[in-house]
Amino acid sequence: MRQYIGKRLLTAVLCVFLALLFNFIIIHAAPGNPIRILAGTDSVSEEMVAELTTKYGLDSPLYVQFFRYVGNLFKGDMGVSIYTGQPVAKEIMTRLGPTLLLCLTSCIIALVLGTLLGIFCARHAGSLLDTLLGSVSYFFDSTPSFWLGLMLILLFASTLHLLPTSGMVSLRAPAEGFARVLDIMKHMVLPSLSLSLTLIPYYFRIARTSVIQVGNEDFITTLRAAGMREDRIYRKYVFRNAILPVVTVFGIQLAYIVSGSAIVEIVFSWPGMGSYMMTAITRRDYPTLMGIYFVISVSVAVMMIAVDIVYTYLDPRIGRGSGK
Amino acid sequence: MAILSLHDVCVTYRSSGKDVHAINHVSLDVEKNESLGIVGESGSGKTTLIMAILRLLNPKSTTVTGQILLDGEDILTMPDERLSEIRWQEMAIVFQKAMNALSPVHKVGKFIGDLYRVHVPKATNAEIRSRIEETFELVNLPKRIYDLYPHELSGGMLQRVSIAMSLILDPKLLIMDEATTALDVVTQNQILEEIKHLEEERGITRIMITHDMSVVASSCKNVAVLYAGSLMETGPVEKVLVEPIHPYTQGLVDSFPTFATDTHEPLKSIGGSLPNLADLPKGCVFAPRCPKACDICFQTPPEMKEYPGGRRAACHLAGGASHEE
Amino acid sequence: METKREKIRRAFRGNPQLRVGMVMLLVLLVVAVFANVLSPYDPYKLSNDLVSAPSSAHLLGTDHLGRDVLSMLLYGAKVSLMVGTISALIAAVIGTLLGGVAGFFGGKADTIFGGFINVFMMMPTFFLILIVVALFGSGMVKVMVVIGLTSWVGNAKLMRAQALSLRERTFIKSAEAVGESKLKILFRHVVPNGIFPIIANTTMGVASAILTESSLAFLGLGDPNIISWGQIIQNGKAYFLSGWWICLFAGLAIIYTVITFYLLGDGLNRILSPKLRGV
Repeated sequence: MRQYIGKRLLTAVLCVFLALLFNFIIIHAAPGNPIRILAGTDSVSEEMVAELTTKYGLDSPLYVQFFRYVGNLFKGDMGVSIYTGQPVAKEIMTRLGPTLLLCLTSCIIALVLGTLLGIFCARHAGSLLDTLLGSVSYFFDSTPSFWLGLMLILLFASTLHLLPTSGMVSLRAPAEGFARVLDIMKHMVLPSLSLSLTLIPYYFRIARTSVIQVGNEDFITTLRAAGMREDRIYRKYVFRNAILPVVTVFGIQLAYIVSGSAIVEIVFSWPGMGSYMMTAITRRDYPTLMGIYFVISVSVAVMMIAVDIVYTYLDPRIGRGSGK
Repeated sequence: MAILSLHDVCVTYRSSGKDVHAINHVSLDVEKNESLGIVGESGSGKTTLIMAILRLLNPKSTTVTGQILLDGEDILTMPDERLSEIRWQEMAIVFQKAMNALSPVHKVGKFIGDLYRVHVPKATNAEIRSRIEETFELVNLPKRIYDLYPHELSGGMLQRVSIAMSLILDPKLLIMDEATTALDVVTQNQILEEIKHLEEERGITRIMITHDMSVVASSCKNVAVLYAGSLMETGPVEKVLVEPIHPYTQGLVDSFPTFATDTHEPLKSIGGSLPNLADLPKGCVFAPRCPKACDICFQTPPEMKEYPGGRRAACHLAGGASHEE
Repeated sequence: METKREKIRRAFRGNPQLRVGMVMLLVLLVVAVFANVLSPYDPYKLSNDLVSAPSSAHLLGTDHLGRDVLSMLLYGAKVSLMVGTISALIAAVIGTLLGGVAGFFGGKADTIFGGFINVFMMMPTFFLILIVVALFGSGMVKVMVVIGLTSWVGNAKLMRAQALSLRERTFIKSAEAVGESKLKILFRHVVPNGIFPIIANTTMGVASAILTESSLAFLGLGDPNIISWGQIIQNGKAYFLSGWWICLFAGLAIIYTVITFYLLGDGLNRILSPKLRGV
């Protein structure tokens, strides 16, 4: 087991490193000089440009810049935003919370709801409800999350005035305590709904197929032939076996979910890393871009490893030492 | 006394298109302590027949008619509580792909124990464990298997676990569905010997489903030949396999090479393929492939007739038909 | 032996997904090819009817520049189909190559491949696409290449599995015994025989490529010179509370197209494994 986790950790570290490297190369190979963008106009004096370039270390050869960056990372220093002059790390950290909140909430809702619906439809396979839910699932699977977000805003916020249209907290928000939590939750309903609704179909499909397949296995027939009651069979044996592919898929999808949440953040002006990234791109703010990508890569890697660990506990065929 | 009696059993799978007639008018008796081998090609309906006997077919999509008597009681009309009672306590089943005969994510002991608890809910963990270990001993399995997962066992061990599992409540009838097909020949023979020994010791009647004639020949008392859902021939093994009455049985026996077979000759087989069960032929179901078929064979389905020596066969040409040397 | 016609009929039996998908695809193709004939207006033409609601003059309304929404949607079909198909094809080629080599040659190639896949799967590729497209410009070609370069993993895994099992088949072994070079065997025998699941997967890849492209366009990172549905939504975002029809219909167009390719891919998969039919 330790060996397995060790291997995954190594992959994660390698992944983050490669991502950083790749990121670095791409960003610095791109057209558009950040200094000129920062300065505002093209008619800025050459001395000014030279001074700023040295100040931000942009004149050293690329590999030197890269190693300097990695070195700083270990100290927790992600550099300073070219645009705001503030330390990147600080800025990003304030944004990490909202993103994780939105992501994880949507993830869990999608996973739980999708799986439950999948199990239900598998047990009633072929029924009208099954066909109906399957079609609805198809629809949401094909829906872009940003469009869904816009439509939800239109329906619930603008027309029905039930929920806020954007942001994470109201302008005159209570500063702390339960009222604040409630306020945040109210703001989170539409964004996480937009995200979850497009994720649910995937888990629904996997869960449904998995349950049907497990249901046809010999050991399930044996349990029936032995007289065990249907819902005990489902609860204890079908579920425990069918859940494995769902968890696997969940781990694989994490990177995708994070991307999806970025777009939703932009639609709802949710103060997370996704929306922050867009601003950084327009400003050609290299340090900020690198920092955001780094934090996201690490977050995804950490979550994937967590899911892997959970999986080794669910499936005795993986990870745990076997003995004959 | 027949422990299991089938009277005119028919199984139909209803579908939106045509109905599929998987089992057609099968009647047979299984005598107590006389093991029966049911032989047939893939798709002949062997598994459907078993599922019908166990009453595990989905009533929403299948129709079963006729009678299936276990020790005189009709399984098909039994009330649910009685059915749950007899399940596993009176009749049990052992499956082929033993790897999936147990839940991959549960330990062997826990799985079998759960099965046991369905019928003996008040048993303590200790009682269950010792009972299971007892059964393991019967099939020559070490006790430590109790704490292992299925994927940690070899094919032979898994098969033995399946057998032990089926014996746990001392059933009277044991059905083995291709249970040794996935094993190598040596293990297969070993297990067959052990099973025969257990049967005698504990008074179990075995029904063995297989496509492998040699298994039937070496381990069963009686044989029933199934083709496209209909019984072709039944009787004691040594008579049916040595002097088959039905051309299909003859074909099956012929297609098995022996040490005496001339190795320069191509292997014999029965030409053609199974009929479409949704569209059965008018006459004898084997007629399209039968080398001896004549007009009446294509017109009327033959009836099952008795022959000397406790044999039965359904063929118009029997009792006068010559058999190949 | 089945005739070709019987084979085709069998593929469609019990396969409503394939049938419906084909019909929907046909409609899309007609729209894409005959957009200029079918559109009531020139989609680039500006008019004075700014953000006007659906009416008899403009069936789906107009946008903030007075352009007819219906015409824009019809013209946009071509773009979506093209971007989706080419991106998915690029991903298919890359995936088939890498997966085929890994599965067929095995050994070190396979180990490297495995590691590479693991690393790739952990990467938030959409952010990578964002960065690349944002910094290097958003021409259509670049977008297609970038999407293709980041979505090959599924195809690679499929091809690898196929190559692994085909490697053991007799006809492959005889080709090796005869002395055909391994590369030739890979391309002439292994790939053509194992390609079907990749075809099905690539069809679904078209669907996801279209979704990705529309997301990019929505973020303002699409090709500004062409009409694309995501871009229409982006333009319409500013007005969507009062001019909801712009975003709504563009979104529905995307959904329709994505469903088409999902159905097709699903239907193709069912031909391959008949067990899935009726499920």
